[in-house]
Amino acid sequence: MFGNMKKTFILSLIIAAAAVISACDKISPAGILMAGTAVEDRVKMSYKFYKDNMDNYTVLITDNKDYSFIVGADSHLTTDPGRLDEMMAIGLEHNDLFYAHLGDLADTKAEYYYTLDSLLKKAKERYVPKYYNKINDFEYVLKDDTEELVKFTYDEIPFPFYPVVGNHDITHNGWALWSNIFHSSFYEIDVIVVDPNDDDYFKVDHLIFLDSASGTLGKTQIDLINQGVLDGKYSDGTSIYRYTFVFSHTNIFRPQFFEFASTFTREETFFLLDQFEKWNVTGVFLGHVHTWDERNFNGVHYITMDSMCEKNNPEPGDYLVRVNVGDDNLSWDPVRLNYTPKKKK
Amino acid sequence: MRKNLTTLLTTLVLLGSLSAHAQVYSGYRQFDGEHKHEVSGFLSGGVNVVTGFFLGEAGTYTYHFTPRWSISAGQQIQFFKRVYSVDVMGTYRIPIGKKSNVYIDGRILFNRYQAWSVNEPIINLSALLETNYIDLRWGWSYVSYLKTDVKENYRAWTDARYSEPLVMTFGFGINIRPRSNPWNLGLFIRNYDQFYYENWNINWGLRFHATLNPQMKIYSEFNVRPAGSLSQLATRYETSLKVGLRYVW
Repeated sequence: MFGNMKKTFILSLIIAAAAVISACDKISPAGILMAGTAVEDRVKMSYKFYKDNMDNYTVLITDNKDYSFIVGADSHLTTDPGRLDEMMAIGLEHNDLFYAHLGDLADTKAEYYYTLDSLLKKAKERYVPKYYNKINDFEYVLKDDTEELVKFTYDEIPFPFYPVVGNHDITHNGWALWSNIFHSSFYEIDVIVVDPNDDDYFKVDHLIFLDSASGTLGKTQIDLINQGVLDGKYSDGTSIYRYTFVFSHTNIFRPQFFEFASTFTREETFFLLDQFEKWNVTGVFLGHVHTWDERNFNGVHYITMDSMCEKNNPEPGDYLVRVNVGDDNLSWDPVRLNYTPKKKK
Repeated sequence: MRKNLTTLLTTLVLLGSLSAHAQVYSGYRQFDGEHKHEVSGFLSGGVNVVTGFFLGEAGTYTYHFTPRWSISAGQQIQFFKRVYSVDVMGTYRIPIGKKSNVYIDGRILFNRYQAWSVNEPIINLSALLETNYIDLRWGWSYVSYLKTDVKENYRAWTDARYSEPLVMTFGFGINIRPRSNPWNLGLFIRNYDQFYYENWNINWGLRFHATLNPQMKIYSEFNVRPAGSLSQLATRYETSLKVGLRYVW
């Protein structure tokens, strides 16, 4: 009798534990073991979008020979957009050419993506008047385009915020929300640098954004990389790029032994380290693990960034990185975020 | 006897499959206290996202100095993955009651990932508790790797080397029959396999073994190895099957 009671008690405990875990928004028990293929679907969609929109999607032009860009990671946006908003303001004030985000932008729920979308729209509202003149009710030109040669509608003006997708962005069907805003999780940007005073000056830097949210690039993405879609070579085999920067959510190097985040598997780690060398990568920016790490490995510089989320790091701190790019200058500086969440009374 | 052994060894070598560590994972560690020598091996094949289809062999010889102490040495060749491994392992067995044992294993493993010019030396120290129905492994691994095709224009050879922070090793298995049964079927979940140690990428699967005669067993494992387990987005990465034989004398 007592044996049956004990079995019933243990079974009840297991069922109760399963129910509690299943009800939690943050945990997907099945996601720990079940081998899904979502990354293949994401990359196929992203690559199709990328190819169909290549003309207006993949080029960023600057006449500033010494430009900079700003990188943040793991904002895990919920209802408080303070930290991400501060990142936008800092970039705008400093004239950073673009923003890169290393994934886990928002924290899974649909309403958080609404907050994110609103934040990006407001950031663009501040960005456009700084760099564009409005010439009529519908059209804008760049401020230095005094002859009004190239006109844009408001929607045609790209806001240079380039994220990679993170695992928290896509759990609970988050990909539908994320892709509705950003469309592509696997893409590249060419930064074309010209000098208005020197017609012969022409440099191209390369930005590669990988979809590593699932802890693997997946077969489709690896096949595309192996086919050389991101190689950027001239017909004689030489690279067209001066500098190449790679952005990925999943990290390669574990900063501490007690980190509970999955990194890449063995073979994929070695594949990526090798591929970065083939691309002659200058710097790789990684997130996911919420801990800072910086190291060189075989000529490639790797920066793994801490989380800029106010919940993970409530105190002000150097949670962003600004990369300074020039012919004779390639460096990075820490950028401080001061926003702290308001304490509830 | 010698002729049979020679025939068996030749067959195994021809199959390219030898390994004793499989006993660790399939509940084969129960030592009968009599035999001194073990040789076993398997063929494995599967599909991996990075390398595609793969096929390989592995094998190990084990010598029992005493009923408590043993040492083993093994190798694997993964033909399409182009991964080559050798290892040596010392084991001390502590009997617990009549049906359980704790095995304390110290192991040195060296992997060569030829496709990416990487050498990966690993030291693992772990303990395996094997009871009548379940087994549990826990320990730590020291994993490092080195790129051997160092960039010509790069200043320091040592910058192509990386040592990971300690990696926890854990595994759990459960069988449907008691360990002494001539055949068994079970489930396992762990963050390592015969020739790799992951951190938080967890593989799992189904295992089987059956006694063919008092000296020989056949065993098999179906292994699902997803990526991104602790990102809660486990994604198809590798699926494989092993089939092997174990012979003791």
